[in-house]
Amino acid sequence: MRIPMRISAIAFAGGMLGALCHGQPMFRGDAAHTGVYTGSGPRQLHGVKWKFATGDRIISSPVWYEGVVYFGSDDHNLYAVDAATGRQNWKFSTNGPVPSTPAVAAGIVYFPSYDGKFYAVDAQTGKLKWKFATGGERRFEAKGLHGMLPKNQTFPDPWDVYLSSPVVAQGAVYFGSGDGNFYALDAASGELRWKFATGDVVHASPAYDSGTLYFGSWDTYLYALDAASGKEKWRFKSGDDPLIHNQIGFQSSPAVVDGVVYTGCRDSNVYAVDAATGKQKWKFFNDYSWVITSPAVTRGKVVFATSDSSLFRVADAATGKEVTKQSSKAYVFASPAVAGDVVYLGVLNGTVEARDLNSGKLLWEFQTETSRLNRNWVLTADRKFNGPMLSISSWRETATGEMDRQSTVGSFFSSALIANGVVYIGSTDGYLYALE
Amino acid sequence: MSDLLRATILVSAALLCQAAEPAAARWEGDVQIPGKELRIVIDLAQDSHGQWTGSAIVLGFGIKGAPLTDIAVKESDVSFTIKGALGDPKFKGRLAANHTLTGDFQQGGNTAPFTLQKAGEPQVDAPRHSTTIRRELEGAWQGEMDFFGTVKVRLEMANQPGGNATAKFTLTRTRDNPLPLNLVTDEGGILTLQATDAGITYEGKFRKEANEINGIFQQGPIEVTLVLHPAAKSGEAARP
Repeated sequence: MRIPMRISAIAFAGGMLGALCHGQPMFRGDAAHTGVYTGSGPRQLHGVKWKFATGDRIISSPVWYEGVVYFGSDDHNLYAVDAATGRQNWKFSTNGPVPSTPAVAAGIVYFPSYDGKFYAVDAQTGKLKWKFATGGERRFEAKGLHGMLPKNQTFPDPWDVYLSSPVVAQGAVYFGSGDGNFYALDAASGELRWKFATGDVVHASPAYDSGTLYFGSWDTYLYALDAASGKEKWRFKSGDDPLIHNQIGFQSSPAVVDGVVYTGCRDSNVYAVDAATGKQKWKFFNDYSWVITSPAVTRGKVVFATSDSSLFRVADAATGKEVTKQSSKAYVFASPAVAGDVVYLGVLNGTVEARDLNSGKLLWEFQTETSRLNRNWVLTADRKFNGPMLSISSWRETATGEMDRQSTVGSFFSSALIANGVVYIGSTDGYLYALE
Repeated sequence: MSDLLRATILVSAALLCQAAEPAAARWEGDVQIPGKELRIVIDLAQDSHGQWTGSAIVLGFGIKGAPLTDIAVKESDVSFTIKGALGDPKFKGRLAANHTLTGDFQQGGNTAPFTLQKAGEPQVDAPRHSTTIRRELEGAWQGEMDFFGTVKVRLEMANQPGGNATAKFTLTRTRDNPLPLNLVTDEGGILTLQATDAGITYEGKFRKEANEINGIFQQGPIEVTLVLHPAAKSGEAARP
């Protein structure tokens, strides 16, 4: 069930009905994180409306609020950009990368930064309202992670790319942190209402539905908390991987629809869990390929994509049986965004795909310039990742080097926002693109 | 001698010199990939039967002694593939009188030019060959290991008339996955099986008193214990 957020009086008074045509200004388009945007996006690609340059890669997903697009960049800034012109309204500087998706409510933009602070900024002016210090950020880490050498060395995970994106409900703002806690802050004052300790990093984003918050942690658990008190309602155990810690933890953020929580997991499953009890309804195994994407749920279908196996998949929401499977060319971390009958999906090879929701068939692709240039042969000629040219040494450079090389093609970790017929999405080439 | 005859001899000699540029050598140089130069050393040689052999070193990629396959040398045209490294790239080049081998490097559907310079005698890294195995190791073995869940293993080994052993390794989780083994050795009391393409190695010791092979199954940095016992009946025990 989708909970209606504040409907802006200004939006009505100003005749900006477009503001109501694309969901709510937060990650995945609404508090339940359905990934569904009302209105429609382009079924055919006509071109780049504009592109906006930042100083570093963009992992954050854009949100739309009253004609302005808000997003973070690894250049430490949060940006407010005019959605029509691509001109900068303002930028707000933090002391760390901002790979999270902001939430906007009642004229305030909320977001965390890798500097370990959580910020509330005036949406119109970009002036600080308040900030809150968490216990500090860190990436997920483990000994011999992903098979890196030496086995007894602890490595931070370069694929832990996102920070938790906040959700706003009941006058509070909720988010997870690298310090292992899940926080509830008063949205107006920034004062701590409560915090809940998990066993590891929380970089997945919470979904909110009917007074309950749902989120996953890298400690293998999916949690349901009472939004008012922070009391645990249930926890659901996912897979573990004591060998190389590769098949473990939640980066995917859950979607809650009709009393069911749907989430991907790095243990390669998509889970459907009863929202009331925490009991598993079904799981969809993806042959050891991570499911980082947060599923989009609409019309009885669960839409998601996989990393290594690079598959676009649609499952029946009631049974978990596969409805559609199509091959994308490279790893997918970005979450599918649905508008009308079209699914928009960013791919790490520097391509945005638009697919038909029903058949999964490709409608159009957009490829970044850096992806076309393909320096260092990061990609094969058919735009798959060129594995042998990427991984030079698991000893000298860790997986960070491989990940950085992949990102040189303008990878789309960012999930698409669809507003007023335009697709907005950020790339690791540093640009936010508006495609129409 | 007429001028015409003299000219004919000179041209023929020049052509002979060009054709005589031998491919057998150590070749050093680079592949000009956009944004990077791949530094490569190629060793090409002919064995006593005239068969071409070769190996490759790719500096900075940890590749040393990767075997060359599909070697073809026809007059000035030289082509070969690096097997089991860098995605099995292909080289198609031409020898020139100035001791260079130049041409195209193809990998992952991409093509880039390469230039190699002769750098002395070939130093081909000889690939390891399978050996015979002890008689008590021949036959079918089975076991189970915990490798991201339970995996059943079936191993069949036999010495071949030529002297070297061959083996068939089948891993079964929900279905049979036969592993193509490229090396089977039994040296110093240690049985070694290698499936290079999959990055898998099994090293085990035969314990006569228990009639078992006690070893370690390794894929990349992951190591798990795998103990194999004689299969009860060939073709039955390893079924899931």
